[in-house]
Amino acid sequence: MSAETARAEVSTQTPYLPTEDDTRFWQSAAEGHLLFQKCDQCSYIRWPAAGVCPECLSRASTWLEVDGVGTLWSNVTYRRAYAASLKEQVPYPVGLVELDCGVRLLTRLVDLPHEGAEVGMALTVDYREVGDHGVVPVFGPAKTVLPAVPLV
Amino acid sequence: MAAFASAPGAVRGRAAVVAVGNTLQGELPGMSADEIGVEALRVTLQQSGIQKSQIDGLITCKSYGGFGIDTEIGRLAGLNPAYSATLDYGTCNFSLHLAVAAIEAGLASVIAIVYGTNQRSAGNRFTLPLGRQDDASVYGFLNVAGVAGMAFQRHKKLYGTTEADLGEIAVSQRKYAIDNELAIFRKPLSIDDYLAEPYLIEPLRRADICMISDGGACLIVASADKAAELTGTPVHVMGIAQQTGLRDRQNADQWMRPWIEQVAERIYPAAGIDRADVQALYIQDPTSVWVMQMLEWYGFAPFGGVGDAFRSGAVGFGGKLPLNTNGGQLSEAYMWGFLHLVEMIRQLRGEAGARQLEPFRVAQYCSTYGMLKAASTIFSLDRS
Ligand SMILES: [Zn+2]
Repeated sequence: MSAETARAEVSTQTPYLPTEDDTRFWQSAAEGHLLFQKCDQCSYIRWPAAGVCPECLSRASTWLEVDGVGTLWSNVTYRRAYAASLKEQVPYPVGLVELDCGVRLLTRLVDLPHEGAEVGMALTVDYREVGDHGVVPVFGPAKTVLPAVPLV
Repeated sequence: MAAFASAPGAVRGRAAVVAVGNTLQGELPGMSADEIGVEALRVTLQQSGIQKSQIDGLITCKSYGGFGIDTEIGRLAGLNPAYSATLDYGTCNFSLHLAVAAIEAGLASVIAIVYGTNQRSAGNRFTLPLGRQDDASVYGFLNVAGVAGMAFQRHKKLYGTTEADLGEIAVSQRKYAIDNELAIFRKPLSIDDYLAEPYLIEPLRRADICMISDGGACLIVASADKAAELTGTPVHVMGIAQQTGLRDRQNADQWMRPWIEQVAERIYPAAGIDRADVQALYIQDPTSVWVMQMLEWYGFAPFGGVGDAFRSGAVGFGGKLPLNTNGGQLSEAYMWGFLHLVEMIRQLRGEAGARQLEPFRVAQYCSTYGMLKAASTIFSLDRS
């Protein structure tokens, strides 16, 4: 068995272990902040986390907090558990959110209306426990912020 | 002629498939993955009359569990070829194109492409997240059908495609599989049966997802000169094309796999034919969604028009353009696309038994490596 295959198998049977590159992302998320690496040279915001900017190949980057807002690219609902650790979670919805900062992030969808998720819907980040992974970013329908009404 | 022979990927018969073979599919307990691959080679040599000593190239495809490496297969099969290589992701077209490139460069002239897997017996439950093991693992985004399901859900929204439209793909392929003794699924499947299946990963059902199988396949590819010596019915490789999307989710709409369109733009000029000249079509199908996407990107159906393309008889079982006449991976077996090519070569040579189509001379094979690469090949019984 190759090292790659071995790692892949472990990743579905036990909690995902963050890598050197993405530890900062998951730790920040557990504290309620969405951070990505921004390239010091070309400003490209990177995900998945990596030691190199895929645009300009610079290694210099700074972790930057972004607004947790975006739109739903698409979604599915898992009705079968494809790993033992997911048996208690099915059915569960997974979405790909296109953040306004340009990053495309997989996520769990939460607080969906009765009719379910809709491609293109506006989403806002929240932070919840998912399986054995502790508190991670999840996304739900964008919260409408009502303009402040002056008291008479 | 649609283009000059100097077009990129214009192989124009300088390489040809001279023999194909396969093992049984399903469960083959008691054999290692590499032994299954070598068994496919043995069967292919025996049926074609080609001698092992005539093989001067070996290209293998890594299989589940890390097996299928050229150095291991070469030792097991007793081969010291002039040239050997392994691709992590053969998916057939990629292995074939490597063989063609090696022949064009003169590294070898008779190349055996060997694939074997025991992934069913070995317990591959197809549960691995594809690509990087990052957020996909955290959120339970497992199996290729997760990605395909998202692509289809978005397609529904953009083009108004329905689940009944998508179901036409699995239904058509099952009709072919009924006459295929090798196929794992041979029970008739109607659109009503399809729609009555529960979702596995909504919006996809069991029939949209391929079946893991043990098995092996082998192709022997030769230079034009050697092909003429080895067989009376070489199937000429006329044109090849590839395109990657290796940046993965950095690319917009990555799971609609828009880079397939670039292969579609190159493959017909490469082969010197028009799309309308294709008489039988093979599309690798880990999921039905991949078939839908490739029918659209290659221009065999308009976007959102795949259901109509089947219902009108333009493509599919009994239609004008036969598609995946072995039943594909959805009904036959998941062999990384190798069995599509085995079937196509047999059909072109008139050796497909109960499934034999009316005689035809030109066929196209389209495949992808997951969400990262696309490739296509056009074959003909005629060199020009
Ligand atoms: Zn940069």
